[in-house]
Amino acid sequence: MNQYKYDTTAITLHWLVALLIVIAFSVGHYMADLDLSPWKLKVFAWHKWVGVTIFGLVLFRMMWRATHVVPPLPAGMSELMRKISGLGHLGIYLLMLAIPLTGWLHSSAAGVTVVYFNVITLPDLVQKNKELSNLFKEVHELLNWTLLGLVILHVVAALKHQFVDKDNLLNRMRW
Amino acid sequence: MKNYGLGIACVLWGALTISSVGAGGIIPDTSSLIFVGKQMGAPVEGRFKHFDVDITFKPTNLAQSHAKIEVDLASIDLASDESETEIKRKSWFNVAVFPKAVFESTAFHALGGDRYEVAGRLSIKGITRDMTVPLQFRTVAGIRVAEGSVVIRRSDFRIGEGVWADPESVAEEVQVRYKMALKP
Repeated sequence: MNQYKYDTTAITLHWLVALLIVIAFSVGHYMADLDLSPWKLKVFAWHKWVGVTIFGLVLFRMMWRATHVVPPLPAGMSELMRKISGLGHLGIYLLMLAIPLTGWLHSSAAGVTVVYFNVITLPDLVQKNKELSNLFKEVHELLNWTLLGLVILHVVAALKHQFVDKDNLLNRMRW
Repeated sequence: MKNYGLGIACVLWGALTISSVGAGGIIPDTSSLIFVGKQMGAPVEGRFKHFDVDITFKPTNLAQSHAKIEVDLASIDLASDESETEIKRKSWFNVAVFPKAVFESTAFHALGGDRYEVAGRLSIKGITRDMTVPLQFRTVAGIRVAEGSVVIRRSDFRIGEGVWADPESVAEEVQVRYKMALKP
């Protein structure tokens, strides 16, 4: 195995989670403005299922990352850039956990139990409380915009490495 | 004779644990009227904040016992402001025309111990149907509490018409759980 690449599991998880986040984000953005209808209830349920999937995959990703060697950053990077990169990734990981969690809290506080794929009933994290539910909704949305900002930074930084620094950074995340 | 003795013991015990309740109301803070429906297969809990209860209960004279509950449907507490607004509309409760749901007993049946069965009529949205509600008395910190639960089929009362009639998005069955702390 090339020591300058992530392993296949890490690469697969990265792209799978990225795809699911794009789906969950887009669906979430779309459904927020829908008028209440049976369709809206369906879309909300699907959004929650994607969110729970992301939550589980991210937990697995973090365990995987903690127990596997991460390829070194390109040699030419300054100390400051390494710090920014580290903080950026830490931020994305924390948000990938915090966002599904605040969604789950929002649903619990609304009095709506999350039933994963209509099969697995997740525990209600808090008692029904509409004010709390509205608060979690705000936090959930705010964290999503924060994640969007970090992801844009993540993508721009990767492209900068690839096409400006020409250090072939993208190769680390290619199958 | 043995059964007879047991019967007397039951009646006595019943009389000891719940002496009659005069016509009166409830203690609002410790009473609740909660319902659990299902949307997309997931339980959804809500409650009604305001309801009036008039209960006359005599364990030794069930024929003269009577209960009436009036629920202020506009006092519903649901998932969000949006769903609360929706459920008050015409296709759901239509509270502008039918502001109250009313249950009035017609007969009490003893089931032994502190358990009873209350036959009665439930009216929602201009539709009245016979219903039997289980009832159990408990005494919590010196306060008599009447509680039980019953499943209502929302289509029986046309709660959720038109696009909302589809039981896949919102299930037919809604469980209603009541807990009434009776004024001493």
